Order: sequence, then structure tokens, then C-alpha cells
Amino acid sequence: MKLAYFPGCKISFYLKAYGDSFESVMKHLGIDLVRLEFNCCGYPARGEHFEISVFSAIKNLAVAHKNKLDIITPCKCCFGQFKHAVFWYYKHKNLKTKIDDLLDQENLSWDGSTQIHHLLSFLYHEIGLDTLEKRSVKKFSGKKIAVQYGCHALRPFSVTRFDHPYAPTIFEDLVRVTGMVPVEWPKSTECCGNPILEGHKALSLTILENKFKSASLAGAEYICTACTHCQMQYEMTDYESDIDTHGVKPVLFTRILDAAFGGKTVF
Amino acid sequence: MFKPASSDRFNPGRLYPNPVNLILSFLNTIFQIRLFAAGKIRWLFHFFVFAGFLYLVTVHAFHQVTAVVLFDYYDPTVDPFQFLRNLFGSLVVAGCILFFLRRGLRLRVNQIKSNWGSHLKYKGLVSIILVFLIVGTGFLLEASKIISEPVFMEMVEDYSDLEEGDELEELKLFWQEKAFVSFDPTVPADPEKLKNGQVLNEVYCISCHSDIRSSFVSCLLADLMSFYGTVLNQTRVDVMLYRVHYGLCLALIVFLPFSRLNHIFLIPLSIAVKNQAPKTHHQKTAQVFGASLFACTNCGYCSQVCSVYPHFQITGNPDVLPHSKIETLKKIADKHPDVSLWGLQKGNNACTQCNKCTQICPSGIDLQTLWAVTHRIFSDNALVNNQTFFNRILPEAWADLETEPRMLIARQELVSDLIEKTDAFENCIQCTICTNVCPVVEYDSKDNDYTPQQVMNLLRLDQKHLASGTRMVWTCLTCYACQDICPQKIPVTDIILELRHLGGVRADAVKLQQTVKKRVEIS
Repeated sequence: MKLAYFPGCKISFYLKAYGDSFESVMKHLGIDLVRLEFNCCGYPARGEHFEISVFSAIKNLAVAHKNKLDIITPCKCCFGQFKHAVFWYYKHKNLKTKIDDLLDQENLSWDGSTQIHHLLSFLYHEIGLDTLEKRSVKKFSGKKIAVQYGCHALRPFSVTRFDHPYAPTIFEDLVRVTGMVPVEWPKSTECCGNPILEGHKALSLTILENKFKSASLAGAEYICTACTHCQMQYEMTDYESDIDTHGVKPVLFTRILDAAFGGKTVF
Repeated sequence: MFKPASSDRFNPGRLYPNPVNLILSFLNTIFQIRLFAAGKIRWLFHFFVFAGFLYLVTVHAFHQVTAVVLFDYYDPTVDPFQFLRNLFGSLVVAGCILFFLRRGLRLRVNQIKSNWGSHLKYKGLVSIILVFLIVGTGFLLEASKIISEPVFMEMVEDYSDLEEGDELEELKLFWQEKAFVSFDPTVPADPEKLKNGQVLNEVYCISCHSDIRSSFVSCLLADLMSFYGTVLNQTRVDVMLYRVHYGLCLALIVFLPFSRLNHIFLIPLSIAVKNQAPKTHHQKTAQVFGASLFACTNCGYCSQVCSVYPHFQITGNPDVLPHSKIETLKKIADKHPDVSLWGLQKGNNACTQCNKCTQICPSGIDLQTLWAVTHRIFSDNALVNNQTFFNRILPEAWADLETEPRMLIARQELVSDLIEKTDAFENCIQCTICTNVCPVVEYDSKDNDYTPQQVMNLLRLDQKHLASGTRMVWTCLTCYACQDICPQKIPVTDIILELRHLGGVRADAVKLQQTVKKRVEIS
């Protein structure tokens, strides 16, 4: 199976570990990742300039369409932005015409056929829990883990269709495959604080600290993420030494899975 | 966005460069490995010119300290030097011609993709023309020496004991037939004499003269020039060409610091400086601006791979693209009066720090850090970003601010017109569910002013400008928790995002007004 790999902007510089482990997991599952000449997904421009954010996303989809491939991304903000852009692209006729014109200038076009996968939904729906179970050679039994869903893939449900916006289950099910025990955590669907890290750092870090606190109260050893921005936010503890993590460590889901599959990751 | 933290990070750097890096950067300087990775065709003719010129400078121009020292059999007219000089010279000429063709046919990547200032249109042209002329006159000089009778006679005087007579005639005949010398009058052909000439040639000349045909370009030119051989020899055109050739070389040396050719020195310098360890932000700033800025050759590969290129396609602001940002930064460094700080700030804020430009840059400039430093300089100065701007102003004062309509240059069609149509928010029943799920309200109760449901109510009261200035709108996490739980199906987050857009456009106008006012006051 061949898919166009959309890493997003941050992985190549800030979170190489995510990209490497993601590629390793996909290799184990026999997925061919194709790197195309993508641009930004448009998420950073969402509140700033609506047209840019939608056009950026649709242009990526058109590039994938030209190569007759579906897109897979490990980042939830990229995933959410793609879905968001497709939704508004069809809703606004004027915008659609403008975007189609711009695409046409570069000999691109998009007919809506390109599928957009996030890592989690792809593993859950396309690969299946049974296959993952079979491939996991190593089990981490009894380790308690809290999962961080990430807002932009979950909500708004009418646009993303990822999972239930307030009581999602797919991440927990996927984590169980590796033998880990997902804990009941009230903040699993709440924001990590990353979107306002620049605009309002103090608040962003307060939110982060509270997430660590409640995860530790729920008895978790780890917080598991499957989004570039969430993981970067949790790793802020490396730079802000006065954040109390309550002994909870952030970990990328792909790293757990890679270790379970017997990959290079030591976990 | 993740900018402040990232720009706070330093690569540790080191006092002395890593030897492996040193070797790699040396190889890069000679073979342009980074350019090869970026574009093969461009590398090809760049390498033609560079390799050719490098050989000519080291072995030909500075032969006294290179070739003469290294090879005891060296003489400019001996193979392989005679042949190599022609080979590398023709490489330079071929590279220059390809360069002119590309300029003429407008095949450069960045010329298609962005608006270039006229000052950049001819940049780099003078130096390449100089290089072309130097090598061109070099070939002509060699050719004119080949056909020159006076030069032949000088050589005969210096290196043989022949006097006027039959033997000299025989040697002349040999050189006329075999080496294109134009004699006046022409020596009459005679196979017997030619044979004797060959013997004399072996006695006197051959130790310093290889077969003239190995200088293949000059031979071709000499063949053409021999039609006017008499006139050219009488006017001593070889002496004239020698002066022109030498003069042009001196002109190139004088011009070097002011031309784009200075990248020959600036790129290695910037790479060397880049490896030093900075201790403070100021040092880092000085490092980035001091060296790497001027190592840029404006090749435009960075803009080709730029992640936010669609931003440029929609807004038409060239300062979104890296190569244009560098030009603007250079202008600022030059204290150029006509600089749009405005466009630069807008463009630089769009950067997502994906590192693609740094990876492709053939000059090895650390562009990623350059943008981070630029971003910090803007945040430190008057042109603040919108989030900081709205933190400093109360929503009530913001709503009363008057904006001149002509300042709304950044106005765009608000395609997602939720706040313009009342049916998006009029059904709000003020149930406060959105406020109850909002993480900003939960953790920021002290500083936050309006809650989401109050923002919706402001819209119902037709106070959209007041709503767009509230802290709630600008600290919203965009987590969509409110929107999905709303019993009335009101797109709360989408409305907040649109209010940001509306506020942003107006804030830009206000900031522009302030800048203009300041400028008027200063002048």
C-alpha cells in the first residue's frame, strides 16, 4: 500500500524522533511512504487569514491527487486543518472558484477524491487491532498510561469525523494492543495549551502543569501523544525547569508501537 | 506557534571547527556539493566557470609561485599547460554563455515566481561579463601572439644564433606552415626548405614549444586572424591585448568586494562564523546578521521550497519568501529609506520554521535562526504581533478607536462570513455551557474579561468591534470544546477565529497609522 507522507512543518526540525518512529512503524506494517513536495497545511494561518489556510490545505491535497495518492499525517493539527479546509472549500462557492483558479495556474486540480488519514484512525480502521496485536512481539504489561487525544482531530466532529468528540475510545484501544493499561483520565480530550504558547505563555504553561497533575492523580506513569504540537508542548518541561511534572513522562505513541514491533526504539 | 522557545535554543557551537566539518566545507567550497544537491543544471555551469577560473588563476595568473615552483619543466607554451589553459578557458566561456542564455531567456526560478526589484535584475551581470571578457581577451591575446611576426623575431633573437639568411627563411617557413605565423611578405613554400626548417625548429624551439595545435581555441582564432595578419602585426595588437587583458584582471580585483562575486569569500566566512558558540542573544544576532546575510547570492532555491509559498500566492507579499526577506534585511542594514518593515513583519510571522530553506541553501546560511532572530527583533520593537497588541489595549478603548478606511490596506473579503450573518449566533440562549467547558476561563479567571457566551452576546448586541478586541478572542486555544457541546449548534470557535481575523485587519490599520504618524513627527 502506498501513501503520501505529510510530516507537517515541525517534525523535520523540532521533533525528528516522531518522524523516525512513524516511518519505522509504517515500514513494519508494509506501508510505502512517498514524500511529495508539500507546503504548510495552513493551520498556523487559521485565525489570521482564512483564504490562506484553506488554499494551503487544498493545494497539498491537489499535489497528492496529481500523484494519485492518499495522505497520511502523524500531526493532529494538520489532519484537522485538512478536514476543516475541505469542509469550507465546498461550503463557499466564491472561495472554491478562487482556489481552483490558483491551482489551475500551477497545472493542479482537486476533485475531492483524496482521502486524509491520521496515524491513529489509519491504524484503527485500515490496519485493524488484530493485525497490530499479531505484530506486537513485545508487551509492556501493567504500565499505566494516560492518552492525550488532541483537539483538532477530535473537534468539531461534524468536520473531522475522527471519533466521539467527548468520549473517544480509539486511542485507548490502540494503546491496549501493546499491553499497556490506559487510565481513566478526565483531561484526555482537553487542550494541551500549545496554540497560545507564544501569545500567552503563562496560561499555556498553567494548562500544561495541570495536565501533568491530573494524569499523575489518575495513576499514570506516562502521557501518550499522537500529535506533533501536543508532544512539543509536553517537552516544554525541558526548557522550563520550574514546571512540576509529578513524575509523569510524555511519550510518543509511535515510539511505543515501534518498540512493541521490535524496532530500534528502546522504551 | 512555537517560536519563542525555539529561538531561545542555541546550538552549542565550538571554539575551533570540527575537523570533519572543516574538510567537508573545504570540499563544498571546491565542488559546491550543496549547490549540486539543490540544482544539477545550475551546478553544471556554475562549476564550469568556477573550476575553469580557479585553474586559470592558480596555474596561469600566479604561475610564478605555483607551476614554476612545482614543475621544473613548466613553460606556458609546453603541454600539458598549453592544452589545459585552453581547456579550462573554454569551460569558463561555455559557462558564461550558458549563464547569459539563462538570463536572456528568463529561466531563473525566482524570476518567474516573485516580483524582483529592478536593482536586482542586473545584479551579478557585471562580474560575469568581466570574467567573460578576461578569458575572451586571454584567448585573443594568445592567438595574436601566435600570428605575430614581431614576437617570432624577438624569440629568434633571444633563443637562437640565427642571422638574416637562408636558415632564418627556412625556420620562418616552418612556423608559417605549422604554427600560423603571418609573415610580411609571405615566405614562398618549398618542401626542401620546410624539412630544413623542421630540423632548425628541433634545435632551437622544441624544448619550450609543444605542438601549437594543442591550444585548440587560440589556434582557431589565429586561423581567423591571419586574414588580417599583416595589419594586426604592424599595429602590435598583441601588446594592446596584453594591456587590456591585464587591466581587466585588475578591474576584477578592484570590483570584487562590490560585486556578487564576493560570495566566493563570504560563504566560507559565514560557515566559519556559524560554527562559533554564541553566549547571548546579541552575539547570536551579530553572528547571523554580520556574516550570513551577505553570503546570500539570491539564487532563490529557498523560496522554491518555502512551506508558506501559498501565503505569497494569496497576499502577493514578496517578503513571505526567504530570498526576498534577505533582500529587505540587507536594505535595513544599509539604512535604505524605502523599506516596508510592515511587509517584512507580516511575511516573517507567516514562517512555520520548517527548516526547509536552511536545508537547501547552497551557501549554507542558517536561515532558520535568521528568521527566529528577525522575529524576536520585531517582538522587541514597536511592530508587535497582534496577540501582544491586544494584551495591551482594553476592548472598550479598542472599539472606540477610529481607523482611517484608506489604512485598511490588508482588507480582504471575509469569505467565511459568520459574524456578518446573524443566523450564526442569534440563537444563543446564554446557557453558559460553552463557558463551563472553556479551559481558558478555567485557568485564566483572573485576567480573562469576557467569557465565550458573553462574546456571543456582544455580537447579538451588534458590538463586533468590541468583541474582536476582547481577551477571550485572543487567548482562545481553538480547542473547539465549546462549539461541539453547544445545544444551539452555534459555531463558537469558528466565530472567534473570524473575530480574530476582523480584529487583525483593523489592528494592522491602527499600527500602520501609528507608524505613519511617527514618521511624520520625525520628519
